[in-house]
Amino acid sequence: MKGKITLRHGDGGLHTNRLIRDIFYRHFDNEILTRYQDAAIFSLKTGRLAFTTDGFVVKPIFFPGGDIGKLAASGTINDLTAAGAAPLFLSTGFVIEEGFEIEMLDRIAASMGQTCNTVGAKIVTGDTKVVEKGLVDGVYINTSGIGIVHGCFCPRRITCGDEIILTGTLAEHGTAILLERYDLGIQSDIVSDCKPLSEIIPALGDHIKYVKLMRDPTRGGVATALCEISESEHIGAMIDEEKLKIRPAVRAVHDLLGTDPLYFASEGRMILVIEKGYGMEIINILKKLESCCDAEIIGTFSKMYSRVCLRTTFGGERILSMLENQTISRIC
Amino acid sequence: MTQEEKRFIEKIVTQINESIKSDIRIMEVCGTHAYQIAMFGIRKLLTPKIHLVSGPGCPVCVTEPDYIDALIALLRHENVSVATFGDLLRVRGSSGSLEEQKSLGRKVITVYSPEDVLVLAKKKKGEYIVFAAVGFETTAPLYAALLQTAQKEKIQNLFLLTSLKRMEPAIRFILGEAGVHIDGMLCPGHVATITGIGPFLPVTTEYNIPAVICGFEAMDIIASIGILCKQITGEVPHRLINTYKRCVRDTGNPTALCLINEVFRISDVSWRGIGMIQGSALTLNHRYEVYDAAKRFNLKIETTTTSFPDGCECGKILIGEKTPDVCNNFGRMCTPEHPMGPCMISSEGACAVYYRFGGDEI
Repeated sequence: MKGKITLRHGDGGLHTNRLIRDIFYRHFDNEILTRYQDAAIFSLKTGRLAFTTDGFVVKPIFFPGGDIGKLAASGTINDLTAAGAAPLFLSTGFVIEEGFEIEMLDRIAASMGQTCNTVGAKIVTGDTKVVEKGLVDGVYINTSGIGIVHGCFCPRRITCGDEIILTGTLAEHGTAILLERYDLGIQSDIVSDCKPLSEIIPALGDHIKYVKLMRDPTRGGVATALCEISESEHIGAMIDEEKLKIRPAVRAVHDLLGTDPLYFASEGRMILVIEKGYGMEIINILKKLESCCDAEIIGTFSKMYSRVCLRTTFGGERILSMLENQTISRIC
Repeated sequence: MTQEEKRFIEKIVTQINESIKSDIRIMEVCGTHAYQIAMFGIRKLLTPKIHLVSGPGCPVCVTEPDYIDALIALLRHENVSVATFGDLLRVRGSSGSLEEQKSLGRKVITVYSPEDVLVLAKKKKGEYIVFAAVGFETTAPLYAALLQTAQKEKIQNLFLLTSLKRMEPAIRFILGEAGVHIDGMLCPGHVATITGIGPFLPVTTEYNIPAVICGFEAMDIIASIGILCKQITGEVPHRLINTYKRCVRDTGNPTALCLINEVFRISDVSWRGIGMIQGSALTLNHRYEVYDAAKRFNLKIETTTTSFPDGCECGKILIGEKTPDVCNNFGRMCTPEHPMGPCMISSEGACAVYYRFGGDEI
């Protein structure tokens, strides 16, 4: 399909139908969706369910390493992963600006479909709305998802000595968006780390019982995610700066701009809090996964500190505070 | 950082901590130093006998409310846009901040370099663009170069409202008139990159206080504190040392100094929390006064005595008399989200730095 989205693509009639069939059905193809019912009907094995929803308004819509479609699918899949759940079914709602290129919509739907396929999740229901030019910026997407929580996963209170794992390098999504958005004239090979992480759950298998909590460090970055955990669990932590992996290009950009990569979003990384003494066992499993090959124990929770602290590479210590002022808007 | 560098730092830190037997106060007069010291967690490495205090080196913190009021007054003119670097947006004058004006729909434009302002002026030919020119000698050459380009390209809709300050008179004020007691001074490497070592020589020659011109990496700062401690303990004589030779030449940057001299003249200005310091301002000289927004729009920047909110200690924090943690408002009523005093607004303000990274105790 070529041309531009018009208001009639959202009127529920012939053009809406054609758009749904030619773009969304084609890319999300599965037997539950293509029954064309008002709601998806499916059966589930018994067990605990995880259910999540998220909206995506990223600017630019296409960025190095992904696009809003890949982000919308990965974001919800990763929220389910953080709940210890294997993603099963997703819903999606599109709000599209009049005049949006249909070819771009096709590319976005294709990467959503592809992302879901790689992890065996299905988009089983959806909605399309078109609004007048200027009321949204291109396209906004909502995704919701449900998954079955692993039988052995049981979030527990964090205690002194519990180990903190970060599954890879820092801040690549936020930095890629920053460079695209502000046209800073910096040439780099930085790409977003945006990707689904659900392979973590089956890989951990029964070892997931040692995982006390998972959190994906999106908005606010690793620092803010750790501060949120520390505040809600009433325990401090010491993070070892030397264990934090930052690609040289990402570090160079932040050095140049005077920004702190610890506050920039990742969209393909997970923080795992592991029961004291089991960190290395989990690391050995995670490092075998393509999405977690740079996993590292970055610190431990400790009653000695009331907040999250950072030990700098040469032994200095400072507080890691929660993000107070927005560094960059519309990153996801 | 390499293992060798880490061992070097460890060695210096041990020497420092063993040599200091009584309380000493070392002042940095640069917001970036305040930030870097806290970010590297350097206080934690040093004996608690060494007190690192901040001086008035954050340009946003020392910008008077009257200047902000003048920028806001400009926004009431039809066809005037105010361009500014982001850190000035939240500074409050007596009638609010530029950020509030922006949310009301007034034309406040955040820029990332003076070149952006040039592009803006060319794009908006029917409008007047006023650039809020705030800073020290470090940024003054950029504004000067901007005006030279504007003159060359005959751009007539671009103006500066200046609040540019000179470091030397402020240092003299702190060590002289204000009588602040310090034992050593970390001098700002990027100001010295422009000015050369001249403005910092009086710290040792006239006030007999150890001083080091210092860079901004952990190694620069720790090595410089090490040198200061050797001078303070009398192991070596008091002398201005430049540990930032990779950037700072004794005579400074001649091109940048030429630009400053070509465009600006020295005058007086009031510093927020401190008051009037004679000879501490750089204002447009007669050759460039056609670009002066104050003249073009007939603005009068009144110099009033700064009043701070109840209990705010910013006036004393700005000259190193007090540290942020002793202020009753700090972290309670005054946070980066709801700043009461100017030192909490800029990311390099002493209070914001303390709040974010922790001070003597973490």
